[in-house]
Amino acid sequence: MSNAKRLFLHFRRTPAFVGFTLFVFVLVLNIVVQGPTHFFSSRSLNTLFSKNMPLLLTTMAMAPLLISGTLDISIGIQLALVNVVSIMVFQEWGVSLYVGFSMGMLASLAVSALCWALVSVVRLPSMLASFALIYVVRGVNVLIMNKPQGKVPEAYYKTYDSLIGGVIPFSALILLFVLLIWLYLMRTKFGRNIYAVGGSPRNAFAAGINPVWVQFQASMIKGVITGLAGISLTLMTASGNPLQGEAYGLRALSACIIGGLGFGGWGSMACAVFGAGFLVTIQNTVYYFFNLLYRIIPGFTVTSYWQNLVSDIIIFFGLLMTIVTAKEQREALRQGFVKQFKGGESATQ
Amino acid sequence: MLPNRLEARMTAGQRIQVFIQSSPARMAVIISVALFAITVAINPRSLNMAALGSILLLTLVLSFASAGQTMVLIGGGLDFTVGAVMSSAAILTTYVMNGQDGRFLLVFALAIGMGIGVGLLNGICSVKIDLPPMIVTMAISNVVTRMQYVLTQGNPGGYAGPKFVGSVIDKIWGFIPSLTLYALLLVPLVFFLLNKSRFGKQLYMMGNNPTAAHLTGVKTDKIRILMYVFSAVLSAFAGMLGAAYMGTARCQIFDEYAFNSLVAVIVGGTAFTGGIGSFAGSIAGALLMIVLSNGLTVLALSQPVRNIVQGVVLLLLLIVYNRERAVRQ
Amino acid sequence: MFEMCEIDKSYDAVVACRGASLQVAPGEIRALLGSNGSGKSTMVKVLAGTVKPNGGNILIDGEPVTIHSGLDCRRLGIATAFQDLSLIPTMTVRDNILLGNEPKGRLGMVDRKKSLREVAALLDRFHIDCDPDAYVQTLMPSLQSMIEVAKAVYLKPRLLLLDEVTAALHRDEVQLIFEVLRQLKAQGTAIIYVTHRMDEIFEICDTATIMRSGETVADVSISDATLNGIVFHMTGQRPDAQDILETEEFDREGSDLVLDVEHMALYPKVRDISLKAYKGEIVGIGGLEGQGQPEFIRALLGVTRPEEGTIHYMRKEVRFHSPADAVNHDIGFISGERNREAIFPDRSVAQNLFAGRAAKGALFRYLTTKVVRDFAQAAVEKYNIVVGSLRHPASSLSGGNQQKLVVARWIAVNPTLLLLDDPTKGVDILSRREIHKILKQCADEGMTIILSSSENDELLEIADRVYLFYEGRVSGTLSGATKTPERLVAAMMGMTREQNGATREARRA
Repeated sequence: MSNAKRLFLHFRRTPAFVGFTLFVFVLVLNIVVQGPTHFFSSRSLNTLFSKNMPLLLTTMAMAPLLISGTLDISIGIQLALVNVVSIMVFQEWGVSLYVGFSMGMLASLAVSALCWALVSVVRLPSMLASFALIYVVRGVNVLIMNKPQGKVPEAYYKTYDSLIGGVIPFSALILLFVLLIWLYLMRTKFGRNIYAVGGSPRNAFAAGINPVWVQFQASMIKGVITGLAGISLTLMTASGNPLQGEAYGLRALSACIIGGLGFGGWGSMACAVFGAGFLVTIQNTVYYFFNLLYRIIPGFTVTSYWQNLVSDIIIFFGLLMTIVTAKEQREALRQGFVKQFKGGESATQ
Repeated sequence: MLPNRLEARMTAGQRIQVFIQSSPARMAVIISVALFAITVAINPRSLNMAALGSILLLTLVLSFASAGQTMVLIGGGLDFTVGAVMSSAAILTTYVMNGQDGRFLLVFALAIGMGIGVGLLNGICSVKIDLPPMIVTMAISNVVTRMQYVLTQGNPGGYAGPKFVGSVIDKIWGFIPSLTLYALLLVPLVFFLLNKSRFGKQLYMMGNNPTAAHLTGVKTDKIRILMYVFSAVLSAFAGMLGAAYMGTARCQIFDEYAFNSLVAVIVGGTAFTGGIGSFAGSIAGALLMIVLSNGLTVLALSQPVRNIVQGVVLLLLLIVYNRERAVRQ
Repeated sequence: MFEMCEIDKSYDAVVACRGASLQVAPGEIRALLGSNGSGKSTMVKVLAGTVKPNGGNILIDGEPVTIHSGLDCRRLGIATAFQDLSLIPTMTVRDNILLGNEPKGRLGMVDRKKSLREVAALLDRFHIDCDPDAYVQTLMPSLQSMIEVAKAVYLKPRLLLLDEVTAALHRDEVQLIFEVLRQLKAQGTAIIYVTHRMDEIFEICDTATIMRSGETVADVSISDATLNGIVFHMTGQRPDAQDILETEEFDREGSDLVLDVEHMALYPKVRDISLKAYKGEIVGIGGLEGQGQPEFIRALLGVTRPEEGTIHYMRKEVRFHSPADAVNHDIGFISGERNREAIFPDRSVAQNLFAGRAAKGALFRYLTTKVVRDFAQAAVEKYNIVVGSLRHPASSLSGGNQQKLVVARWIAVNPTLLLLDDPTKGVDILSRREIHKILKQCADEGMTIILSSSENDELLEIADRVYLFYEGRVSGTLSGATKTPERLVAAMMGMTREQNGATREARRA
């Protein structure tokens, strides 16, 4: 078997394969609908990255949690927390926005630690506990900043929207940074521990790993990436708003699932990236598709309501995808059994 | 309750713990009365017929919304679409009725039909998709909410027919809202479903021990789908009544009932893991939630503080009634 | 030198180990043997750190140690390979082998090159030919078992504990493992080898500790031991393998054939089972634990679909899709795992009793409280179930009464075929006797009963005919004159396999 074929077959078996295929498919669709020249223009690509970086980073933040076997649906409103803390610290304390961002990052880590304590230590059900946390964080956000306000200095948000060397979107650098950190972590013991704890906490414990501590480490990483997502959001909107971002929670979770992440031990950061890419690209496609219809069919108007509906329906269908992937996993297991006992030969020959 | 010799050996602290945990519904009523007393003590003017009537009315509405949620939680699931279905039903009611009481049956049929549709979607997806029910129903709830906007373009019109409105908010003997009459219909129905039918028994079995229920011959898939259908239908009906109460409706008007019904049901003693609970408990839980909300208003607490209180209340409930402990031998 | 001294362990009322002792020296391969309920599984769990004993202690080179977790085991140099595998299915072979033990590289990262080398060398040593990047869950069970053993060996332990690891392995693979074990023995590793395969013990082990009913009853050297002698220690019976029929050779014309199973296979546990049950019979299924009995019963109930074979129920071929399907065909199931599979802990005793009737019938017909209460009251009286009140939660009943409740629940719906999976496990003697009486009565009244049990006495007492399962096949059927404890034990230990094995090989060629 040639090397290329072996590589492909190996990739076929990884959890990221489904997400990758979906993403590529939708990407092609997008290019077709939007038109290649328009899509590949540096301005269009830049907008695509800068507008969607918060969602992308939020999805990536969800990945370590899912892999280690928990989740946090309040991750969306935590973006707003980082946002309001950054802005208010900058505004009220008269320090540089960098300090604001640092405080925002700390806030994100604090909430992540709280969520970990509730789910991994007290052992509350993660969906309900993190759902309750949404309300708490929402209230805290408004207490910190009672109405949308604040301005980010031009230098900051211009940099965020800019293209480095005229080609690379600045926001993409943040993505790259997170990916590099993750790649490093995957090469450490933590990288293996997180999968063991998510895959089988009991067997991980038998191997000498402490699941609660590993989940804490995963929460901290999630806190850092969420912090970066909140910073991106701040730079993108160039202002503060205590009640934004809530919808990011479910969308990030859906994107992860669509990308191929499972609820413990299955999936990778690539899944999160492809899943978020899928979501972002398909929204883009829908927008340009409606534009097309608008130009082709006279009198066809569509409000943002239709677009939102289609987006949410797509998210829902993405969740339905899990039926297919679950079936595949079960089938693979069954094949293993049948191969051995019907085959009759020993495995080691 | 317990054998006498055991009671004699318990300390006072243990007795209190048993008292609290053995009947959450009873605790809910006790705390409601206590909270209300505190509220009145803080602001004596808050004790009046109008306030009492309002508490009763809101409790009933929340109870109706929680009826379906009770069933679903007992069965081991969770219905996040309660709010979205209520809002949709409310919009449907005002829009189709548009002031004409004669259209009531049509509206009723449409609302129930919508409830059955959403319920089937909830049920079938929760059976086929191996994801937590909260996520599935949350995603469906989003879609239903978007549909509201698309169909009304963000601007639902119409209003509920006057006689229908009257049948909800008219006061009997000065303060009992005639909504109570609807309760006289609904409560026995829910009671029958949960306690006097095989469906209810199978529901409790499935919630308490799904493996045993499956091995005993319960068609768990069918029961699961049915419970979501009932929940959505009851929510739709609650939405209709809510429309009468409010007179007009806007998009997402009753969305908060997703959270409120969940908390009311858990407060009332239905375990969030399933298998335990009652509708009576949920009504007590609804009472407590409304009294709490009333108290927070009297204290003139701002919206963000109320949000925090809501979140903390749910967390406390989860902690107190947490039955899943780390298994380590 | 590893010693376990006077280990006591009880689960509620059930005593698993009572003053059990075991010792193994470096370079010694000691077998740990025991039949059902012997306590050997508990001893293994204590040594592996998954269970904490109530009494006794563990000594290493004379020093007492405590083992609370897998981490403690690793620090003490104890590695365990489990039958039900301690691998993480969603991770690769390589990651599993190195888990918790990854070679350190620069900057806190894992040394990749060394990882690849080490794993390749390990797989080579065991002659395992598989892709180290394959996910464990996609591999054949035999391969997974080999990797489980390899993983334990990689830890370079002072004590290697192998718990029934050869169950899924072919003869050649077993030889490969034995080769490695001999190498480890030469290097001074102490090895405890738990298995039910007698030929393996005589091949590789030096000594054996035999347990029965929670106690250590014998400590022998293999070179002095005989097969019959070992079986006698394990079971208290001298095995007799004569005249045991492997399959049904007769067909009782005239009696109603209620159940006819032919060559059922449900991998990995059930390889080839054929069984017949006639009306009014109590058919027993026996054997060591884990030979496919519970899987077989559940396949009959429709929980899982067999991959091969046919099931004829009431002379018609059936394929049940779910337990509800089977229950609608008048089949009942009583599980020995009450808490997981039968009892609804928070529901009242009355509701638990009514559960069988609640699962069958019109979904929305009105059921009064009186109907349920009268039914429950009658059942409690008839079956002598001791309750405080019918409204108490079922979790308040003792184990024996809970089991009687489950039996009452099913008898009340009058099934044609009643399946029982180790129903009297952990049940007190009186309740057990009462349940036996009830079952006999039901059989006399025409019910067909299939009773799988880990207690040989139970089978000999109430079953009309007994099938013995060994490694997923029927190793013998006993009835009438051949239904003796000695023959039962022989079939249970697979001692009939030799004489029947030859015929089977011949048939396959």
